[in-house]
Amino acid sequence: MSELRLVRTTTKLRIKELLHYPSRFFTDIVIFATRCGILLVLYSFVFKLRGGMIGGTTFQAVAWSMFFYFAFMTFRLRDISREMMVDVQTGQIEILMSKPISYLSYKAWGRIGAGIIPMLTVGILGATALTLTVGVPPLMHSAAFLPTLALVFAGSCLLTIAVYTIVGLLSFWIEDINPIFWMVDKAVMMLGGSYLPVALFPALMYKIAVYSPFGASQFLSHTAYAKWLNEWPILVGIQAVWIALLGIAVLVMYKYARQTVSINGG
Amino acid sequence: MMNDLSFALYAIKKNIQASAELRTSFLTIVIGMMINNVAFILLWIFFIKAVGEIGGWTPADIVGLNGFAALTYGLAFSTFYGIRKMPDYAATGAFDRFMLSPKNLLVRVSTSAFSTSAVGDVLFGALCLTIFSFLIHANAIQLAILLVLAFAACLVFISTIIIIYSIGFLFTDGNNVSEGIFQLFFTPAMFDGGAYQGGMRLIFTFIIPSLVIGTLPVEAIKDTSFAKAALVVALSIIWFLLSVLIFNRSVKKYESSNFMTFGN
Repeated sequence: MSELRLVRTTTKLRIKELLHYPSRFFTDIVIFATRCGILLVLYSFVFKLRGGMIGGTTFQAVAWSMFFYFAFMTFRLRDISREMMVDVQTGQIEILMSKPISYLSYKAWGRIGAGIIPMLTVGILGATALTLTVGVPPLMHSAAFLPTLALVFAGSCLLTIAVYTIVGLLSFWIEDINPIFWMVDKAVMMLGGSYLPVALFPALMYKIAVYSPFGASQFLSHTAYAKWLNEWPILVGIQAVWIALLGIAVLVMYKYARQTVSINGG
Repeated sequence: MMNDLSFALYAIKKNIQASAELRTSFLTIVIGMMINNVAFILLWIFFIKAVGEIGGWTPADIVGLNGFAALTYGLAFSTFYGIRKMPDYAATGAFDRFMLSPKNLLVRVSTSAFSTSAVGDVLFGALCLTIFSFLIHANAIQLAILLVLAFAACLVFISTIIIIYSIGFLFTDGNNVSEGIFQLFFTPAMFDGGAYQGGMRLIFTFIIPSLVIGTLPVEAIKDTSFAKAALVVALSIIWFLLSVLIFNRSVKKYESSNFMTFGN
């Protein structure tokens, strides 16, 4: 019950904070529209030049795949790393750890609360715009699509939190985690299908994207392609394995990280 | 004018010395940023491999584009990082101390902060432009155009961010608004220039100068196009004059405040 209360309170506080500063909303929407919108305009031009099909993929599938990637990025779960670094650098960590709540749960739910409204807004607006402009790929009419989308979304959230929490926990030992954050973030960006959709990956890069935790954390971008309905059990399975492995890594690292902090003088 | 320049150089030197004091951290951040930037080159090279050359853009041009983008970004934010902090200064009332300084206000506030990671961008940009010159077998004229346009592109970048972050004076939570507009300016500058055609090219050249900091310079060097080079130089002068004008107008909107909550 106390865990549920923590979830409710933390999420509610971050949503209230977000609504109090509507310009953050504006920023998220502008960033999404800039990155995703301009990329889609460019890709539509490129697909027209190539006769509407590249590597057996249509623009429609690519557009939805990139939309899923960028909408998920609006969730900003990756910000958990830098929030943890700031906690450590400012000494705020001592206050948070001395409270009778789980620090990791507090950070994770805080991020979810801060990102859920922008992601839903961008998701609804973007999906409507795409439906009206490029239409809906046939596979999205399948009864299995929405349940598998929800499943892989939950998996992507958990895995993204795990990956970026590990980076954040490194700040207990390293003064500035930014260089590590940049590298992990770029690995996620490249293998997740941001600027280059996963369907256009070279064979080796596709394998790395599927079997690495960086690519697996963005499996949402795979759901727009026709082969998703056959591949989803394998991809969700890979996600589950990574969630379990990195989840254990987070707990072990946190156990040792706690020992490096001297709360109330030791 | 000379006094302002000499003060700017002194402030930049002191900022670099202060950042380099923590040597290991400084080097880790600089090298980390350089590795981080490689991702963009790889992505666009894979893009060209997957979809073929668009608008005559080759992998060498992508290297050049990333060189210009990283160099302009790096130089602007390593030496003039204070520009990015203007909305914060305005929101917290910290801008007061710059207004009280007898130095040129824009120079004083611009050189008030330094970004260590941007040094990595500068080095990465310089390296990419060197590789680009080798890949296109640049002759003396092309190298001269490159040097002139590197300067012009930096001027455009600095001018644009002055305008973007001056907007912070007009909003209560100006930092977020400015960051959103900055993304609107910088993100298109990183994309394969060959894909910008027609209306998109006009918008991102004359209304939002994203293509002026990378795409147009790369094309001007590759084609030894004096017309394109002249356009970049002309736009850099126009944007610079415009930025000074907008900065001076925006500052007038600033209402002095302090942490006792008087004023604003």
